[in-house]
Amino acid sequence: MDQRNNKLGWLFTSPYLIYAVIFFFGPLIWSFFLSITDWDLIAPTFNFVGFANFMDALQDSSVHAAFWNTYKFMMIFVPLVTVLAIGVAVLVHGLNRFKSLFLIGFFLPYLSSGVVSALIVKGLLSYTSPVNVSLRSVGLDINWLGSPFSALCVVGAILAWKFTGYYALIITSGLESIDKEVYEAAAIDGVKDSQRFWRITLPLLYPSLYTTLILAFGVTFGIFTEVYQLTGGGPGHATNTWQMEIFKQAFQNMQVGYASAVALLASVATFISIFVIRKILEMWGKRNGWV
Amino acid sequence: MKKKTPILLTTVVALGMLSACSTGQGGQNQTGNSSSSAGKVTTIEFWAAPNPTQQAYWQELAKAYEATNDKVKINVSAIKESPTSEASIQSAIAAKSAPTISENINRGFAAQLSNSQALVPLDTLEGFDNVIQSRNMTQTIEPWKFADGHQYVLPIYSNPMLFGWRLDVLKELGYNEPPKTYSEVLEVTKKLKAKYGDKKFLWAKPDLADPTAWKRWFDFYMLYDAASNGNKFIEGDQFTGDEKAGTEVLTFVDNLRKENGLLSRQVTDPFENGTGIFTDVGPWTFTTWAEKYPELKFNETYALSMPPVPDDVDPAQSKTFADTKGLVIYASATKEQQQAALDFIKWVYSDANNDAKWFEQTNLPPARDDLSTNESFKAILGEKPQLKPYADNVPNAVPPMDNSKYNDLQTIIGEQAFNKVVKGEIAPAEGWAAMKSALEKALK
Repeated sequence: MDQRNNKLGWLFTSPYLIYAVIFFFGPLIWSFFLSITDWDLIAPTFNFVGFANFMDALQDSSVHAAFWNTYKFMMIFVPLVTVLAIGVAVLVHGLNRFKSLFLIGFFLPYLSSGVVSALIVKGLLSYTSPVNVSLRSVGLDINWLGSPFSALCVVGAILAWKFTGYYALIITSGLESIDKEVYEAAAIDGVKDSQRFWRITLPLLYPSLYTTLILAFGVTFGIFTEVYQLTGGGPGHATNTWQMEIFKQAFQNMQVGYASAVALLASVATFISIFVIRKILEMWGKRNGWV
Repeated sequence: MKKKTPILLTTVVALGMLSACSTGQGGQNQTGNSSSSAGKVTTIEFWAAPNPTQQAYWQELAKAYEATNDKVKINVSAIKESPTSEASIQSAIAAKSAPTISENINRGFAAQLSNSQALVPLDTLEGFDNVIQSRNMTQTIEPWKFADGHQYVLPIYSNPMLFGWRLDVLKELGYNEPPKTYSEVLEVTKKLKAKYGDKKFLWAKPDLADPTAWKRWFDFYMLYDAASNGNKFIEGDQFTGDEKAGTEVLTFVDNLRKENGLLSRQVTDPFENGTGIFTDVGPWTFTTWAEKYPELKFNETYALSMPPVPDDVDPAQSKTFADTKGLVIYASATKEQQQAALDFIKWVYSDANNDAKWFEQTNLPPARDDLSTNESFKAILGEKPQLKPYADNVPNAVPPMDNSKYNDLQTIIGEQAFNKVVKGEIAPAEGWAAMKSALEKALK
């Protein structure tokens, strides 16, 4: 690449670089600075406290809960949304007409407000809602948001409902890119219909699946609105998340330094987890010969 | 031309992104937070509570004041709730775009702000004493004094929280008025459960099991203030809770649970729909009821009462929590703006009719000593009899603590004692001991 093209390359990437400096690197440095102080951003003075905020956060039970709950949400949300998204994508892909219309329909929840969907679910799960009255009439009395496991499942299910359409869109584009001749060749080679999905579709869908899985794992580190509206992180700390904890510390307790330390710990946990997940997914692909 | 196009495009995109970062307040800050030297007009920013009624009230008064004083311009806007009004104020102060004055500030949040030197001690401003005297609020404002002896908040309203009872259901159970003591309430619960089983509960409210700090104001504190004759619970940095009263409150709640009288599950408008027959009621509720539940009529379908008390306490001496919020002036404003803001407030409260208008429009009892006796309010109380119990009990209401850690502290009350007792996870005495220990640790 000659010198002139190199400059042009820098120029083209400059909007993102400026964006990254302003919105990522700047705040990251600022956040680290805050994390070693006891500042609340309001007081005219502050003290440097070293790594005390980090030490406190590492011993805080609500931070521990946020850490573990992320993986609990992962266990519920990722399989659920992946299965649903593949299901929707396969169904839509098989349609001869109105494919785009259905995809838009499934995509709509992604555009909906988390607050609104949480409030609707709150109404649906009310003690006196028709759903619960019907369940009680057959002897099922479920305290949906009052027990740790069901509260996790409810939040996980709302997220899955919201993201299914988005991921289905990615998977559908993956399905569309699979050449029909591959299926025809497989049919000639004697691959049965029941084997088609596992032997052909899934391996060729791997790049799209990889993307959606990484995105889905990432979502679990950023859960806030649904938890804030539905459970407030409870019962106890059962649905507390990193974002909830950062919000509570920064905006309710006005401990911005401590909240910054929690945010940085969350970043480290996210970075390591996503790195490990990526490696596992890559190993999975390589082991099966998909990449 | 071909080479220039991408360069131009890139520059436009980058500039567009940078301009999108602007809050658009730069220009406003320059003129809004300082007095204009040319016309000597002082502009003050007034942040009203995020509801249309209060915003309209302050806008009307601001216009009226501007008509009498052409040296002041008051911009009234609602506090943004992103995600809470407190967070918005905090962000605004940090971003150096705080208003001159705002309302809707509770005592605990004011303690946080004053701790960070973000507020002006109002008693240091010229004319503050005149406001207190002309508004007749010497007694009401007394408990608002902070530990350092200053007044940082001018309470606008002081709302003694009352309990609502479904009178129609009580009558079905053979009662003509709400029970006043713990054993009377338990008796009602037993009769209610015998008649309705799992269809009705005494106290149905999801917040009972929610540790969110402010929720304790509307359950634990109401009962505790009544049982302890208004004991302060936390004073400055000291835990001063009344163990006997506190344990009695928790035991009462535990007994209600044992009788299956509590429902802490998600339920929509339980009192209004009759799933619960007892709940905290603030005067702001009546406007909603008039629109959404017109069948709820004072002294027909519902009654209001002070919180129930332990059997050995005189119900006439019952105290309750004061849901009270007020005005603060921010230290980041210029001296001229601070004084102009106080002058505006002085003008507003020099006329009792402005408080009467507030009371009429918001249903929130103005924080004055003469609410029950001043002629300006008699017509409103006659027109809205459901507000009379609130006006009568202004002196029996205890404001929230002035500790800057109030969020942490009140979360502890829920997490260690109240919520656990509601769920039957801890015995009342053990809950009290665990809460006390955690509070003392947090206060250090």
